[in-house]
Formats: sequence, structure tokens, C-alpha cells
Amino acid sequence: MSVEVEVDENDLAEMVEQVWEAYLDPEGVSPLMQTYDENQPSEVHSSVSITGSWSGHIVYSSSRAAAQRAAAAFLAMELEEVSEEDISDTLGELANIVGGNVKAMLPPGAQLSLPQVVLAPESSARYPNTERISGVYGLWEGEPVSISMWQSSTDTKEEGA
Amino acid sequence: MKILIADDSRVMRQIVVRTLRQAGFGDHDLVEAADGQEAFDKTTAEKPDLVISDWNMPGMTGIEVLRQLRAAGNDVKFGFVTSECTPEMKTAAEASGSAFFIVKPFTAERFDEVFAPILG
Repeated sequence: MSVEVEVDENDLAEMVEQVWEAYLDPEGVSPLMQTYDENQPSEVHSSVSITGSWSGHIVYSSSRAAAQRAAAAFLAMELEEVSEEDISDTLGELANIVGGNVKAMLPPGAQLSLPQVVLAPESSARYPNTERISGVYGLWEGEPVSISMWQSSTDTKEEGA
Repeated sequence: MKILIADDSRVMRQIVVRTLRQAGFGDHDLVEAADGQEAFDKTTAEKPDLVISDWNMPGMTGIEVLRQLRAAGNDVKFGFVTSECTPEMKTAAEASGSAFFIVKPFTAERFDEVFAPILG
């Protein structure tokens, strides 16, 4: 049986907005400006996998400058103080927060993985047998940030069978 | 009071600490644990008054830590700060004696609302 995913762009956008309000832009001065460009470039990315009632991946990707700025905001540091480890931990937590919020909207019986972080472009990642079903793409102070949802195609195959 | 913060994410532990300060609870003695086992061990050894725990951690999850503490007769006030919040998780947490459930992303106002009655 295929599962009807009830998480759409608007839900993702709302989660992203909450992350910005809480951690990345608490003053409300530099929100993520949506570009709706799913092909915008990235230099680093992180992901969590969800398995069970829905199977797929939630991917957070951005430029390195945006990741550095996110780490500085998360850790209340100056940009130049941010280390590689800070960037990596921040990216992992961003994927975890969005992934956890997505999971909460799925039917019962979904499991969330621990985050994976790759300090390389999202285009270097391969999620076999998946298709992108939703995403929020934008610029944060001019730097690209994307959050996307990739569904494992086993569900859709069964649907077509 | 002594507060133990358990989260495998170092940045999230720092955010929790900072948010506690912003909510006016920065004067308490704060201890950190980086995974479930460490959370269990430190709760046993350091006897905090409150444990603020992530759910999804490597090795032992937060709910497993809580269950093991209760099984060992430890009645510490314990609750979750997690990005995941499904009805079944909340039910499992409450059934195991969890005192609160805070969803990430959270604000200092949310911390104040939850911790003011506990920490005074």
C-alpha cells in the first residue's frame, strides 16, 4: 500500500520559518527568501532518513557561507570563530529538526535516523530509487539554502503495480 | 538546583543552555551528557534535580534512559526536548513518568512556561 504523504511545500515552509524564528533569525530581520528554484547550487548538505509508514530522506543543503552563518547563529559566535566541527554539527541538527517535524506529520510507525552530514554539494549525494516530492528553496542573506523531501520509490511502484 | 542536559548534538546542548539562561534559569548548576548511556550514568552519579533529554540519541535513546532510571528506582524529574513529537511518543513518555515534552525548534518563552513551575 502506498502512503499518502500529507507533508507539502507549505508545511515544509512553515517548519523552516519556525527554525529561522527560533534560531537563525530571532530578530526577524533576515528571513529565508524563497526562490522556488530547486536547482540552486549547494556546497554542503545534511540529511536524515525516515523509514516505516513513509520512507525517504529529508535533505538540508546550503552554500558554505550560509552554513557558517547558521553555525554562528546556533552557537552565538562570531562568523570567524566558527570551526569545521561547528558547521558540521549545525548542519546535522538542522536536518534533525526539520526531519523530526516532518516525522510528526506522518502516519504512526515512522522511524527517524540520526543525521548524516557531508561537507560537499548535495549533487554529490545519491538517494537510490527516490524522487523529490517537495522542497523549500531560497536565499538567506543572498546565500542559497534548500530543504527537500525525497520519497523512496517502492511506495509509488506498488501504487502503479 | 542541578540540571542535566542530554543531547548527542553539541550545538543543541549549547542552544538549550543558552535558552535556559534567556528564560532566566542560568544560575542553576548545568551538567551535560552527550549520549543516552552518559545521561543514565551522570543522572545516577551526579543526582541532578532535573533531566532535560533529547529523544533520538545513539546507543540508548532518551525514553530508554528514562525507563532504566525508573526501573532502578530513580525518581528524578525528567522530560524531553526533541524535534519529534508524535502522539505515540508523548504517550510513551507520559507512561514512563516524563514531566514535559518540548518540541524543537523552541523559544525562551516555551522554556519559561515549562520550567518556571519546576525550577521556581
